[in-house]
Amino acid sequence: MPIIEMKKVFLLAHKQEKEKVFDLLHHLNLVQLLDVKNEKSWDEFSSLLEPDQPGDSAAEYDERITMIRYCLDFFQRHFPVRKSFIQQFTGAKLELSPPQYNQYVEDLEKVQEIYESCRRLEEELAAVRNEETHHLNLITEFEPWEPLDVPLEAIADGPFTVMRLHISTNDNLELIKTRLDEMLSAFHLEVVSSDHEYAYFFFICPADQYQLAQDIFKEKAVTTASFPGIKGTASENIAISKEFMATIGDRREQILNRVETLLEQRPMLMACYDYADNEYKKLDAVSNLARTDNSFLLEGWVPAPVLADLENSVTTNTETAVIMSRDPLSREEVPVLLHNQGPADAYEVVTKLYSTPRRSELDPTPYLAPFFFVFFGICLSDAGYGLVLSLIALFVMKKLKLGGMGKQLLKLLFYGGLSAIVFGALLGSYFGDLLGLPALWFNPLEDPMRMLFYCFAIGLVHIYFGMGLQAYRNIKAGQVSSALFDQGFWFIFLNGLILLLIPDYAAVGRWLAIGGAAGLILTQGRSQQGIIKKFLSGLLSLYNITGYLSDVLSYSRLLALGLATGVIAAAINSMGGMIAGSAVGTIIMVVVLFGGHIFNIIISTLGSYVHTSRLQYIEFFGKFFEGGGKGFEPFGMKTQYVDVVETEEA
Amino acid sequence: MMDGIQIALLGAALAVGLAGIGSAIGVGIVGQSAAGLVTEDPDKFGQTLLLQALPGTQGIYGLLTGFIIMQRVGIIGGELLSLSVADGYAFLMASIPIAIVGLLSAVYQGRVSAAAVGLVAKRPEELGKGIVYAVMVETYAVLALLASIMLLFGIPV
Repeated sequence: MPIIEMKKVFLLAHKQEKEKVFDLLHHLNLVQLLDVKNEKSWDEFSSLLEPDQPGDSAAEYDERITMIRYCLDFFQRHFPVRKSFIQQFTGAKLELSPPQYNQYVEDLEKVQEIYESCRRLEEELAAVRNEETHHLNLITEFEPWEPLDVPLEAIADGPFTVMRLHISTNDNLELIKTRLDEMLSAFHLEVVSSDHEYAYFFFICPADQYQLAQDIFKEKAVTTASFPGIKGTASENIAISKEFMATIGDRREQILNRVETLLEQRPMLMACYDYADNEYKKLDAVSNLARTDNSFLLEGWVPAPVLADLENSVTTNTETAVIMSRDPLSREEVPVLLHNQGPADAYEVVTKLYSTPRRSELDPTPYLAPFFFVFFGICLSDAGYGLVLSLIALFVMKKLKLGGMGKQLLKLLFYGGLSAIVFGALLGSYFGDLLGLPALWFNPLEDPMRMLFYCFAIGLVHIYFGMGLQAYRNIKAGQVSSALFDQGFWFIFLNGLILLLIPDYAAVGRWLAIGGAAGLILTQGRSQQGIIKKFLSGLLSLYNITGYLSDVLSYSRLLALGLATGVIAAAINSMGGMIAGSAVGTIIMVVVLFGGHIFNIIISTLGSYVHTSRLQYIEFFGKFFEGGGKGFEPFGMKTQYVDVVETEEA
Repeated sequence: MMDGIQIALLGAALAVGLAGIGSAIGVGIVGQSAAGLVTEDPDKFGQTLLLQALPGTQGIYGLLTGFIIMQRVGIIGGELLSLSVADGYAFLMASIPIAIVGLLSAVYQGRVSAAAVGLVAKRPEELGKGIVYAVMVETYAVLALLASIMLLFGIPV
């Protein structure tokens, strides 16, 4: 059975053993816990039951988690760990053996200390950054006044004169000068420097006339530059700031060096994060249970095959816990766990990428697996490419020890490569026409119509198989008539139409088609009210023939992708052939062939995978599969940063 | 001397050119979205690159069709055929399906893929569904390629 049966379990135990029970369940990783509070079945007992709260130690773990996340983020900002291209798809976790992991986790207490060092270092870095911006600002402020070799504190108001530094736009400067000439009897204006927009000038005039000057300045939007508390000339001040800036790099370097010495704690922090996170989840899980004064109750789902194991370990490891179980009720939403054996296991990834099946449905994985295998092979259809793909998949599988969907995908590509070897040999493609070997069967480049015909035929088998599965579901659900009406009549009708195209069988075909159509007209409107409505929707249902037609035509993509692979390969080969000849040419030819074929393998594999998936999702699943189930998520170890690899035990 | 060869070559040029333009636009659209996402989350580079590659296939289909024409008329690997004007038009017409459908479908596939980049931003585990949406568009490019190839193989020269 590809979909594993689930049992609902209830666990009742004394509150003293609460922690023990949760530790055990977490270790076993077999039970998906349910929130008792939200289960309607306990409403009658609500006065007896009181939801439990996670305790203080949970808050402590939570705090640790926040600290570790802060440290890891801090490290990541300054010394980022980048994932490699492959890791972006597969995730990159640190592999630890159980003793290593335990050793790291023992240091959980050190987290506080590291956190504080990180905080301090971050503050120091911020301080350095602030000083840096401060001095940068000073430099830009002083720079226009650099040519002025007067100490800035000397530019001040005297008893009879006013001295100021002013800034105006270049355009206004001449105007200002003329206005001043008109209004003031005595003044001196000296432009210290100017840039592309502003002029920076020194201004002095008798104290009693400054008011007049100020009015002009106001009118012309002139601003005043003042440097309160600054001593020495502008250039002296710039020199001071520059000197300071020169030391900043070193200071930052020193702080970062100290951060770097903390970096060696990163693996420890990662391990501790996962540890604390799991401990927290364990403690937090109590919110799923209900309790009375002295006992508590848990509810959950367990895959039926492991129920006995669970009962055994609970009874041997605890003194008070009792487990009861029952079959799921029809109205309950049961999580779905897929289990396929042998090669079909790899194709679970195809199903899961679409949707987890519902409990009432068939798991489509074992049925789509052979078709996926064959279609992938026809799309890639090159023995050389298949070999390369299989070897790469095998290599990556050995190199990166992946679990779950990553591993399934690699296995799927490995099988796909094998399939491509078979079809490549049958259809005569070895790196395109590079080796010039003949086809064992026939070459679709020479007779594409023949190949197209086979593609349609295999597509028809695929569609019929999907219909058959739906008929099987109907029969199993006790609706034999639905199986006959909805699938049987279509099967007869479609076959009749096909036979019509073959002259020898046209007579039989005509009667089959008429019979099937009649059956459909009579039955497809059966859910409608009234005889006329029944008849009309029955008649209208024949229009669905276009759906079947386009479904079958859709399989032409098998031919198209196969041809594309072959012709691109041939194009690469002839490009290589054009260059060959001299010694340099031969080298270039090898490069062209190698690069070109690698490119074609990547593009064709991608195309084969996505188009083969589409044929499953649209043409095949459309006949019998809806999906929308929820996957089984057992309560147990879940890690974000580290993988604890059991070396010998497993 | 005007004969069919120029017309046949126009077909090859259109197939490569138009489908290539479509793919360039499509890949460009996805690239912009992807670059935006990667500024936030550099680890999504691999996934978004996969999405960006999807509208690139039309250009390859166009090149493929152009290549078959070149081979059939003997530009590559053989003697240049002397084609009648009618034969030349036959080649031109055979290139039309992939040229036009390639151009437009790549643009629309690019838009779907760009939307899928947004999908991956929020739910990286749903990459597969984003790809399937994009592949729905590509179907028509594949069918057009098939039509072009069948037409080309069917021209009796």
